[in-house]
Amino acid sequence: MSDKFNDTQSPRVTAAEEKVASEGRRKFLRKGAALTGGAVLAGSAGAQAKDKITDPIEPPRVKQLGRGVVSVPYGKPSKYESHVLRRNVEWLTADTIASISFTPFQDLEGIITPNGLHFERYHSGAVDIDPKDHRMAVHGMVEKPMVFTVEDLKRMPQTSKIHFMECPANGAMEWRGVQMDSMQFTHGMLSCSEWTGVKLTTLMEYLGVSPDATWFYAEGMDGSALQRSIPLPGAKDQFGKPVPDADEIYKDIIVAYAQNGEALRPEQGYPLRLVVPGTEANLSIKYLRRIKFTDKPLVTYQETRHYTDAMPDGRIRQFTLINEANSVVTYPCPDKRLKEKGFHEIRGIAWSGRGKVKRVDVSVDGGRNWHEAELQEPVLSKCLTRFRLPWEWNGEEALVMSRVQDETGYVQPTLQQLKAKRGTNSIYHKNAIQVWKVEKNGEVKNVQVKYV
Amino acid sequence: MSKSNMFKLSAIGAAAALALSAGPVAAEEVTNVGTPVTEKAIADWDISVYFDGENLPEGSGTLMQGEEIYLAQCAMCHGEFGEGAKGYPKMLGAPKEEFIEAAKSGEDTVGIRGINNFWGHAPTLYDYIRRAMPFFAPASLSDDQSYAVTGYVLYLAEVIGWTDEPIDAEFIKNVEMPMEEQYYTDPRPDVDNDRCMKNCYAGKEIEVKGKAVIGDVSVGEVEKAKRD
Repeated sequence: MSDKFNDTQSPRVTAAEEKVASEGRRKFLRKGAALTGGAVLAGSAGAQAKDKITDPIEPPRVKQLGRGVVSVPYGKPSKYESHVLRRNVEWLTADTIASISFTPFQDLEGIITPNGLHFERYHSGAVDIDPKDHRMAVHGMVEKPMVFTVEDLKRMPQTSKIHFMECPANGAMEWRGVQMDSMQFTHGMLSCSEWTGVKLTTLMEYLGVSPDATWFYAEGMDGSALQRSIPLPGAKDQFGKPVPDADEIYKDIIVAYAQNGEALRPEQGYPLRLVVPGTEANLSIKYLRRIKFTDKPLVTYQETRHYTDAMPDGRIRQFTLINEANSVVTYPCPDKRLKEKGFHEIRGIAWSGRGKVKRVDVSVDGGRNWHEAELQEPVLSKCLTRFRLPWEWNGEEALVMSRVQDETGYVQPTLQQLKAKRGTNSIYHKNAIQVWKVEKNGEVKNVQVKYV
Repeated sequence: MSKSNMFKLSAIGAAAALALSAGPVAAEEVTNVGTPVTEKAIADWDISVYFDGENLPEGSGTLMQGEEIYLAQCAMCHGEFGEGAKGYPKMLGAPKEEFIEAAKSGEDTVGIRGINNFWGHAPTLYDYIRRAMPFFAPASLSDDQSYAVTGYVLYLAEVIGWTDEPIDAEFIKNVEMPMEEQYYTDPRPDVDNDRCMKNCYAGKEIEVKGKAVIGDVSVGEVEKAKRD
């Protein structure tokens, strides 16, 4: 078995490039290598020559008129893209009202998730709220408690930021072993959008939040009236212990009314939601009706029964708010097999709740050897980052995987490392390296591998 | 608004600078947006109960009343005896010691969770029942009914014994939850992977330990099932 996964299917990097890379100029040269791609490993792989077409081919041409303007006033994807859908896994939840669906990353490019494909997570179903009647209260430890209409909030100074939104249960089905033979289902509790609204700090200044406020909580108006406590500087838990990242999390928070250029979708909390970048998406309260500044946490249902992590010593972690660095190869993946030998670009996404992606390494030999991938600009904080690595697939088995390092220096762990610390009952925050096995016929399977 | 009283924010300076650069009509601060309210005006909105019982309302209920409501509105999902049903959560999980033992032995503890081994503070159980239960008719229980059901659920979960006492704010505040001390706040990062680049297993064999076995969740299969 071992020899199969020696690094025989090298990404398109030359020995010379590897040498220079070790001298710290790798990124610059990789761009050069990609541009002159034919020069590297050209013709070395097993791709057969295809029969040359000699008979005349009908030129692509439509010989009739098409649809007029506004025949589709709100545009939709091509009918040939009808397979690109959110999907759910029926046995995961007891019903579809308190449930989750998955974003089809195998079919997406770039870093922006189209609004209609943003994963859904409801605790009591999606609701339709008339913005004319909607009010959001901000109160508690403030000088001026206030209520705001959506229009009011649109008058406030505005911000737009691109951030990922990820359920901390992303990948949760894989702790005990491999289950989901689909990238959509292993990593699709994730999306990334440009969020527009009012910075929480703008509201805090406007209302005069007391310096003694060390927490706030936000609450939605859907059936679940979901609420979460969010730390401010100085936050302590119910036992008096400090809560990590309290100095950072609040600075990026947005009270959002728009997503990717248009109003929030009902599935995403129309007309108002909180966006708490870098943290488990459960904090980003939808259908937002209330924010209260306090000096202690609620330790509500979502902070004690759920969104807490059971450890192998019988204890339970709480306020595990940050989604740590994670990455996955989106091509090839179980949902997107390889169809023929020859050139392919290994592509994927990386993200970190603690800031920017610093670099992503890719292995095609099960983690024995790694190659630094090229990152697509822009590389933004708490945002999906695209990576790519050119690859010549020779038709042999391969174990393809990615590993991100974020700007704090944190390196994405293996599942073995996570399990050694956390066991297999914690459900949440599984940010382990994902391995895909490419079979000789080009099929791709979700696998777990010794040492990874 | 007295500036000295305000939350210290590094963002303030930046926001002000942007506003000033906007032109001769630049504003220095936000004025007259939104409507001031008193806490009294929004008192009915403020239903959140803290872990220590702060903001528990007046009122009370009995376990007898709680049993009646539970059997009519809760048992179809959570089980007549709190054992759970149809994928909905148990009220009564494994006893604390058994739960901890199972965790230590590496067994799956997800299926044995309940109020008695996975809930830190009784007041937030009241909060949750009042705000979100029963699932199909959230926020339909009165404050008194919520006390009755909270008490009955604590009884089913074997956190409290049967009592004829009224279940009220004082009662709920004084309930000792078995697992309270087992909770602790996030210690991460808790793993430290190396960024090894070459020959990372030092000649050791790589072994594929498992492949996805649940074929019917692959996208291809889902689509095929829809077509068929």
